Amino acid sequence: MDPLLRIRGLRVGDPRRPRLRGIDLDLERGDRLGLLGENGAGKSSFLLVLAGVLTPTAGSIEIDGLNGRQALRRHIGFLPQRVACYPELTVRENLDWSARLHGFVRHRRRQAIERALARVTLEPSARTLAGQLSAGMQQRLGLAQALIHDPSILLLDEPTASLDPIQTAQIRQLIEAQADSVSVILATHLFDDIREICQRVAIIADGGKVTDLPVTPDLDLMSFFQTPRSGAG
Amino acid sequence: MIWQLAWHEWRRVRAGILFWLILAITQLLIAWLLFAQLEGFARIAPQLSTSGAGLGAMDLIIAPTLGSLVLILIFSVPLLGQGGFATEHRQGRLTMWLSSPRSSMELVLGRVIGLFISGLPLLFSSALTIAAIGFGVEFDWLRFATALGMLVVFLLWLSAIVIGLSTLTNHTVAALSMAYGALLFLWLLDSFIDPTAGWYWAALLPHLESTFRGLLRISDIAFFASTGAAAAWFAVYQIARRRGEL
Repeated sequence: MDPLLRIRGLRVGDPRRPRLRGIDLDLERGDRLGLLGENGAGKSSFLLVLAGVLTPTAGSIEIDGLNGRQALRRHIGFLPQRVACYPELTVRENLDWSARLHGFVRHRRRQAIERALARVTLEPSARTLAGQLSAGMQQRLGLAQALIHDPSILLLDEPTASLDPIQTAQIRQLIEAQADSVSVILATHLFDDIREICQRVAIIADGGKVTDLPVTPDLDLMSFFQTPRSGAG
Repeated sequence: MIWQLAWHEWRRVRAGILFWLILAITQLLIAWLLFAQLEGFARIAPQLSTSGAGLGAMDLIIAPTLGSLVLILIFSVPLLGQGGFATEHRQGRLTMWLSSPRSSMELVLGRVIGLFISGLPLLFSSALTIAAIGFGVEFDWLRFATALGMLVVFLLWLSAIVIGLSTLTNHTVAALSMAYGALLFLWLLDSFIDPTAGWYWAALLPHLESTFRGLLRISDIAFFASTGAAAAWFAVYQIARRRGEL
């Protein structure tokens, strides 16, 4: 059976100083893949390419057997590092904006908003202004925005980076709760995010994939960052 | 589909205090200007009736007030647009716009029309205040309606320029500065250059003043249609380029 996402030879940026250089990756349905790497390793660039914002200079991306940017934009939900919301609008209005961006008509929009609010348990705050939400609640809003169109793949860029330990635990739980209906690619530099959410981890360094392996209780992630790297990509 | 995004833009604008503040200030300014013009008109009215110059309230009250409304719109609409796409980038929301399955044209036109809709309350509330004069003096309603129609076209043009320029930068202040720089330049251009010069065509005020005098010219509509469409097309190009579609 074909993987849900198949990436081959993905390159981004100036050929002399590429931001991504020749990444190959497969993602199966229901996978929760972690992208682990230091700051500037290329994790965010990789997610932006998948979100259809950055253009690859070479390589191919196939999602559910489909090629092209529009296919990516329809099948992928993206939670950027900084939640993209209008602080002067309510949670519901922000979700309405996301639904409008996906072209939902009024009736479908209302359904999608209710479903997204329920998925991240944000119903009680639906009428709260986004600017008045705590960091954790804003992250839930971002997650609801990413899920509004029922994507096949959820891209999460450092979803717990700015949260306190309790909010971090709640967001991790919420992400795990989505795993039945959506495949997840999570970019992070936090080992705990990988251990608690992901089944697989791909180590990214200098714009290339160093390794890709299952997450096991005895996996020593630190070892990938202490030993000298050879032949990234 | 464009209307869906336009409605979002209108909601975003009216959710902020700035919109209501601008609306209130516009009303105050228009009322004050109108009374000032009216006072001046009342002073010279006896001489006008004997001189036979053929000038009335439309020329001496309404046209100058509409001219002032143009300047108010030039200052207000870029503020309502709040930096357009530049601010979206600054606030980290541009990624959501760019990664949406909507075409670049839908994204741009949605914002342009949304900004246009947001400017309409300023325009129509001012027009109502000005039209109130019509109950007290001899008033050419057709001429007023023509001028108002041209101001609607001007507002749409203004929205396209503001959104178009906002795609050139990632900084809100830079986007606002560029919009003010370009618009005030076009507004003042007719004061600097000879009316026979080719560049005079780009001057903003002559295209509006002729309508305020009751003269509807195809060339004026062509100016707003061509330059407005060029600004919108430029914005579509810029957004498509950012999305890697070109």
